[in-house]
Amino acid sequence: MKKRISIKKLTASLFAGTILAVTCAAPPVHAEELPYDTYNYTYWEDIALTPAAYVPVGTVTGATVGTDGFSEPQDLCVAPDGLIYVADTKNNRIVVLNETMTETVRVIDSFDRDGEQDGFDAPYGVCVSENMQLYIADSNHKRVVVLTPEGEFVKIIDNPQSEILEEGFDFVPLKVTVDYADRVYVIAKNAFEGILVFESDGQFTGYFGTIDVKITLWEKFWKRLASKEERAKQQLYIPTEFTGIDIDDDGFVYASNIDSDGVQGVRRLNPRGEDVIQKGENENLGGDLVVGSYGTYAGPSEFTDVTYRGKGIYSLLDRKRGRIFTYDREGNLLYIFGGLGTQEGTFNTPIAIEAVNDQILVLDAYNNSIVRFGETEYGSLINDAVGLRYDGDETEAIAKWQQVLKLDENNELANTGIGKAYLTAGENRTAMKYLELGRNRKYYSVAWKRYRNELLIAHINVIMTVVIVLIAVCLLYTKVLKKKIGRGRRTKAKEGGLA
Amino acid sequence: MRELFSAQKWKYAFYTVSHPMDAYYEIRHRERGSVPIAVLLVVLFSFSFSINRKSASFVVNNVYPLSVNALTELAAVLLLYLLFCVGNWSITCLMEGEGRLKDIAIATGYAMIPIIVCFNLATIVSQFVAADEEAFYWVIMAAGIAYALLMVLMGIMQVHNYTLAKTLVTIFLTFIAMFIIIFIVMLFVDLITQVYSFFYSIYQELIYRM
Repeated sequence: MKKRISIKKLTASLFAGTILAVTCAAPPVHAEELPYDTYNYTYWEDIALTPAAYVPVGTVTGATVGTDGFSEPQDLCVAPDGLIYVADTKNNRIVVLNETMTETVRVIDSFDRDGEQDGFDAPYGVCVSENMQLYIADSNHKRVVVLTPEGEFVKIIDNPQSEILEEGFDFVPLKVTVDYADRVYVIAKNAFEGILVFESDGQFTGYFGTIDVKITLWEKFWKRLASKEERAKQQLYIPTEFTGIDIDDDGFVYASNIDSDGVQGVRRLNPRGEDVIQKGENENLGGDLVVGSYGTYAGPSEFTDVTYRGKGIYSLLDRKRGRIFTYDREGNLLYIFGGLGTQEGTFNTPIAIEAVNDQILVLDAYNNSIVRFGETEYGSLINDAVGLRYDGDETEAIAKWQQVLKLDENNELANTGIGKAYLTAGENRTAMKYLELGRNRKYYSVAWKRYRNELLIAHINVIMTVVIVLIAVCLLYTKVLKKKIGRGRRTKAKEGGLA
Repeated sequence: MRELFSAQKWKYAFYTVSHPMDAYYEIRHRERGSVPIAVLLVVLFSFSFSINRKSASFVVNNVYPLSVNALTELAAVLLLYLLFCVGNWSITCLMEGEGRLKDIAIATGYAMIPIIVCFNLATIVSQFVAADEEAFYWVIMAAGIAYALLMVLMGIMQVHNYTLAKTLVTIFLTFIAMFIIIFIVMLFVDLITQVYSFFYSIYQELIYRM
C-alpha cells in the first residue's frame, strides 16, 4: 500500500485546521482537542489532514434520557416526525427518544395482539415508514412486527413462503427498512442471495440486490484440477451479506456490505435490484485507501451501516477503525471523521448510524450509548455546496466552495466545484486553473478545448499570416537550397566522398 | 572527449538516424562513431524520460510528481545501458560477432536519438491536447520507442555482421546474460559483505581485548 504524506499539503491542511479552530464558533470544540484525526484522500491517494467536518457534541445513554441503561442496542432509526427509535436488543424493547434526545417519550416492550399480550425477543432492527408505521425486526421470534408508533398492533410479517427459498430456511431478520409504497426490505441472517423483499400485504416476493461472487481465474484453474471429492471439501464461494440498509427519497435502497477487497462497501439498488451507484474518479467506494497490512488494525474498512442524508449524500460507518466516511452522489469522498477509543466521541463497537437534521448519530453496542456529532463550519459548507450542486445550482455553490478553500486550500472537490462554475460562466481560463488543481481531467479538457477555440478565433489573423509567410519562406528556401546542395554534392563527389 | 565537439561526428549521429544500415556499417569499419557522443545521448535520453514523466500535461500524465527523481533515473538508465552493452558483447564474442564493445555502445547510444526527439516532442504536444486527443501524444511516444528499437536491432545486426534471425537470438541471449551478470554481482556483493563482517568482527574482538 502506498504511504506518502506530502509535507506541503500536511502543513497547509494543519494551517487550515488552525484557522478553523479559531474561526469555528459553534460548537466550541477545537480541532486539536478532537479524539480522532480528520483527513481525506488526495488524487494521489495520499492522506491529507483536513479540518474536522463533524465534532462530538454529546453522548446519550439510558441514564441521560431517564430510563434503564441500554443493553447491546443494535439499531436506531429517525422517524419522519423527528422522534428517535432505538432497538434496545438485549432488553427486548424499543426506546423512543424525543427530537433533542434529552428524554424518553415512550418505551415499547409489548403489544396487544388480538387480545393476547406479546413481546419481543432480541429485536435487532427498527424502522419507521413514511406512513408512520413502526417496523421491528423481532429476530429470535423470526418475524417482523408492524406497530403504530404508539405501540398498537398492526400486523406481522413472518415465515416467507417461496420456491426460491431453500428447504428449511430459517428466517431471522436483522435489519429492516420500508419504502414509500410500504414494501419491506429485510436483511436476514444467512440470506446470502440478497435482501428479502415483502409486499405491503406481507407476501414474500423475492430476493433483491445479490452481491456477485468474485472468482478469480486462478481459483477457477484450481477448481478444474481438483477431483470431485476435493471439490466437495473445498469451501463454498458464498457472497457476502449486506450489513446495513437505508432508503432514499426516490425509493432506491442503499445497502452496505463488507468488501474484503476494500473496493465497494455500499450499493445503491434500483427497484429491479441492480446496483446503480456512481463511483468517483478512483472507482473506489471502500473507505480507507491507505491501510496497514499487519495487526488487528489492518485491512480494508468494514462497513456495518449506511445512512442516506439527502441531496445524494450518504455516510458509511466503518466498524474496523470506527470511522465515518461520507460520499456524495458522484462517489466523491467528502470527509472522514471518527475513531475507536475510550474518550468521549469515540466508539468501541459502532453498529448503526443515522442522520438527524445537521447531526450524525452513531450507536455503540458495547458502550450502550449514542454518540452525537455536530457539523462544523467546514462540514456545513461542504454539505451545502454539494447540496447546491445536486440541485443544479452550481453558480450559487461557488461561494460555498470558495469559503471551503479558505479553510482547506487543497480541497480538490472545492477546486473542481469552483472550476465547474467558472466553466458554466464561460470563464474558461480561470476554470482551467481550478480544474487542474482539482485534478479533474474531463472538465479540464472541456475548458481547455473552449479556451483553445477562443484563442484561435481571437488570433486567427496573426496565425494565418505567420503560416502563409512561413510556407512562402520554406518554398523559397528549398528552391535556393536545392541548387546549393546539388552543387555541394557534386563537389563532394569530385573530392572522393568519405573523408 | 574531443569528439564531443566534433561537428562531423555529430552530423554522423544524425545521419545514422536516417540511414541506419549504411551508417552502422561505417561506424564498425571506418570509425565514424563516437563513444562519448553515444553516452551523452543516453544521458539525454534519461533526462528526456524524467522531463516527460514530470512535465507532460496532467491530461495524459498519471505519474506521482514526487516519485520522479532525475538522478536515480539517470543512474538506472546508465546502469542498464552498461549492462546491455556488456551482456551483448559477452554473447556476441562467443557467437562470431565482429563488433567491439565500442561499436555496441555506439549502436545502442545512437539509437536513443529518436526517443529523445519524440519524448520531448510528446511532452510539448501534451500541453496542447484535451482528454479525447490523447492519441496524438501516445502515437508520438510509441513512434519514438519503435524507431529506437528498430535502430538497436539494425545496429547490432550491422555491427556484428549478423543475419536478422541471428540478431534476434543474440538479443534474447543478451537478456539472459544480463540476468546472469546481475546474479553474479549480487553473489559477489553478498560475499564481500560477509568477508567484510568477518574482518570487522576480528577487529572488534581485538579492540575489546586490548
